[in-house]
Amino acid sequence: MLLRPQEKVADMTTLEAGTHERPKLVEDNYLTHTTGLKSWLLTVDHKRIGLMYLVSVLGAFFMGGVFALLVRTQLLTPEGTIMGQDQYNQAFTLHGAIMVFLVIIPSVPASLGNFILPIMLGAKDVAFPRLNLFSYYLWIIGALFFVMAMFTGGLDTGWTFYTPYSTDTNSAMGGVIPALTGAFILGFASIFTGMNFLVTIHRLRPPGMTWFRMPLFPWSIYATSVIQVLATPVLGITLALLVVERAFGIGIFNPALGGDPVLYQHFFWFYSHPAVYIMILPAMGVISELISVHSHRHIFGYSFIAWSSIAIAVFSFLVWGHHMFTSGQSGLVSVIFSAITFSVAIPSAVKIFNWLATMYKGTISWNTPMLYGMGFLFIFTIGGLTGLHLGTLATDVHLHDTYFVVAHFHYVMMGSALLAFIGGIHHWWPKMTGKMYNENAGRFAWFLVFVGFNVTFLSQFMLGSQGMPRRYATYPEDAGFQIYHMISTYGSYVMGLGFVVTAIYLVASLFSGRKAPANPWGGRSLEWQCASPPPWDNFAEQPVVGDCYDFTVLEWSEKEQGYVWRSDIPHPDGSPAAESEGSH
Amino acid sequence: MSFLGSVAGTLLAFNDPLVPTSGQGTFWMPESASTQAPFVDHVFDFITVLSYFFQIVITIVLVWFAIRYRKRKGQVNFEDDGPVHNTALELTWTLVPLFLVVGIFYVGMAGFLDLRRAPSSAYEVSVTAQKWSWSFDHPEYGVNQAGVVTVPVGRPVEFLMTSADVLHSCFVPAFRVKQDIIPGRYSRLWFEATKPGVYQLYCTEYCGTDHSKMLALVEVLPEDQFQETMGKLATEYMDLPEQDLPTYALDRLYNRCSSCHSLDGSTAVGPSFKGLWDRTANGETVFKDGRRLSDMIGPGKEFPEPEDYIRDSILVPQSHIVQNYAGAMPSFQGQLKERQVLALVLMMKYLDRMVDDQGNRIESPDLNELDPGMGEVEASAPEIGDENEFDAVATAGKGG
Repeated sequence: MLLRPQEKVADMTTLEAGTHERPKLVEDNYLTHTTGLKSWLLTVDHKRIGLMYLVSVLGAFFMGGVFALLVRTQLLTPEGTIMGQDQYNQAFTLHGAIMVFLVIIPSVPASLGNFILPIMLGAKDVAFPRLNLFSYYLWIIGALFFVMAMFTGGLDTGWTFYTPYSTDTNSAMGGVIPALTGAFILGFASIFTGMNFLVTIHRLRPPGMTWFRMPLFPWSIYATSVIQVLATPVLGITLALLVVERAFGIGIFNPALGGDPVLYQHFFWFYSHPAVYIMILPAMGVISELISVHSHRHIFGYSFIAWSSIAIAVFSFLVWGHHMFTSGQSGLVSVIFSAITFSVAIPSAVKIFNWLATMYKGTISWNTPMLYGMGFLFIFTIGGLTGLHLGTLATDVHLHDTYFVVAHFHYVMMGSALLAFIGGIHHWWPKMTGKMYNENAGRFAWFLVFVGFNVTFLSQFMLGSQGMPRRYATYPEDAGFQIYHMISTYGSYVMGLGFVVTAIYLVASLFSGRKAPANPWGGRSLEWQCASPPPWDNFAEQPVVGDCYDFTVLEWSEKEQGYVWRSDIPHPDGSPAAESEGSH
Repeated sequence: MSFLGSVAGTLLAFNDPLVPTSGQGTFWMPESASTQAPFVDHVFDFITVLSYFFQIVITIVLVWFAIRYRKRKGQVNFEDDGPVHNTALELTWTLVPLFLVVGIFYVGMAGFLDLRRAPSSAYEVSVTAQKWSWSFDHPEYGVNQAGVVTVPVGRPVEFLMTSADVLHSCFVPAFRVKQDIIPGRYSRLWFEATKPGVYQLYCTEYCGTDHSKMLALVEVLPEDQFQETMGKLATEYMDLPEQDLPTYALDRLYNRCSSCHSLDGSTAVGPSFKGLWDRTANGETVFKDGRRLSDMIGPGKEFPEPEDYIRDSILVPQSHIVQNYAGAMPSFQGQLKERQVLALVLMMKYLDRMVDDQGNRIESPDLNELDPGMGEVEASAPEIGDENEFDAVATAGKGG
């Protein structure tokens, strides 16, 4: 039953449909199994929830992207082009808050993870399907609170909500409490997703899939979930304290009320630094899949990659103070945090080298997901190396809160995490939608995004090291900043165009795309063994687990337009591979 | 412009605004003008060269593999005879970066500890950051500066900083120093400038509406010129004749108001200064609570004279908020001497003689004869304050 071809499922449906005298042949999969709006809104199917997350997250990404382009356009000239100071402050705040809380944190785990993880484990669903749906609605409610923040006076605190600015009602705009409430609720969505995945990975692996026979994507999701469950509650408590201070004037962080603003920064970064790894670890998992599958090569150093995810998750809790080298925390504390920060560089470097080694002697397809994968290696290396400048105490003092930091974290958060997400969408698009997108359009859009991204953010490194502070609506004319700002802004337009093209060909593929085979790329993990799109219950029977990175057992089938088990090798489940093809 | 030119400009006539010196930086770093800067630059360059090396090697390998091992047309299945594991290699690329980052950490730490500790002989300046302006006090000379701070070259200078409202951060790129400023506590930042010149100072901790306009200049002067400037600044407003006070206020004090109050009538965080005196004198201003200023000015009322209202707005701004404004203004009580307040009042009164409709400065304003039609200057000045009395207070304060 491995690699069951599409037609066979359709045949069975036809038979069934025939007995009920249904006029039209409807292929039975998770998209068509039940119909009606209610069947989607109340679904507990992980695939539908994953798809709903995907659509919602991409909607939020569009909004965050529009704010980003407004910010970039404003900075074309020193005195600003389109906005006043207050509007600009709102634009960069909403850009940051939306991208962090609504887009990047849920991007890979909640959308791709929800869809793919249970199938990769050969399971029918996540461990707690109803909790899964609940977390999606928490996300929606959280997003609505952000919308409310925009309409109840606006939000201008920056996504970091630093006190005492955020809690002083004379300073920050009126949308602070709705936004904090939104972030609080989104935190719970994140915690529930993490818990769900932890239990799923522990309990629902199929027979034969030991921890070290799992694909690397579940490994990275596992490491992420640990952080989500342990760190997010701290954010929740901190935001609740902010609300209490702002609403009732109880002094916790505001020195005017006897509080300590630096304490807030400790609390905030105790979550928000691990949150950086909530964003990048799942992306690394995606990249492990992309690089090995599209290089058709066994992943190199599996256990080093798996352990480095765990190492990153552990270290991520111990480095938050590197956001605060100039905050006035004690010198000794800064020194300790700097030292631990460098230790995170090691597992990240290990991953890069392992991915490169995976490509060695591979058979590399130059398709869109692989281009995103290779682009990730280039971009993440820049993001990681510039982290050295910032982790080093002496240079961080100069670079902190300048565009150098902005460029650095965009290289990691946007260029690495988000572009890996986009690459992952392409990789699993045929599986999720049952349609193939236009490969040439995909390569072209990747090129626009890749070039646009680097033009936008490379220039910001120079901008920052030359002294341009971040969060500035205007800047001095004579400091030589304008040329870099102009380059950056034009780059952002190219990148924006790339995303528009991406949206167009992906949507077009839904209507006119070629039907996707079960295994278009030649992947070995279990999701490529069920049909595209997957049937309602994923697998009719328990799939047989093999080495998920051994691609030599597959071959291209003209007939399927996809990869099937090699005809000269017997199936692991005992049935000869040729059978499935022979049935037609 | 050479620094001597700008220095001469400052000393001779204060209506030449200072501009930052356009010094020569490198591709990565701005001009270097402090004793700490060369070290920071060396560390930066070292890490950057290392980064170039790894980036180039990784990119070359990436592109080489991508091309060398690309999938050929018609290839239907895949041999996989590459290694899947190599402990020696993996340990190498774990340990080599480990040693490198330990080295980088150590060098960076050593420099950081130097950055933190100011020599005990440092010249101290008290800095007050406030939305959205900078105030610099020289306790040694009893001098207050706004928007620009003058320091000596070749001598360690320490800023003792605090904030009157929210977080701010003091950043001078040319000196490679930065330190957050926290309300309710002091933080310190020190540097030793190596070149005379004028350097930009930024606020780098987001602080609201006009964060990006919260700029100041650091003017570095040779020791003798520094002493001379301090001497002048210590007494200049005391000795100025009344007709020079409006220009003094516009040149020396207005840059603490400029981020919120325009001169050309455009609306910002606060009302424009253009026409402010007329609105005040005619009592046209309407407050948030609906009261009109005309009902509040007059003998026996809240403000005996219009000047009293202006003075009140500077010292106790939260007591009356003008309609349609948020009331964001901080109090300047204790930060301005009485004669400086008088200078500001006079500046408002004669603003239309000093700036044109677009808010641009008029070259040599005619202030020799203060408006005879109004006739209130002489009458009101004593009411605002008997100068001798305030001088006495100021002197007593200094003495204590």
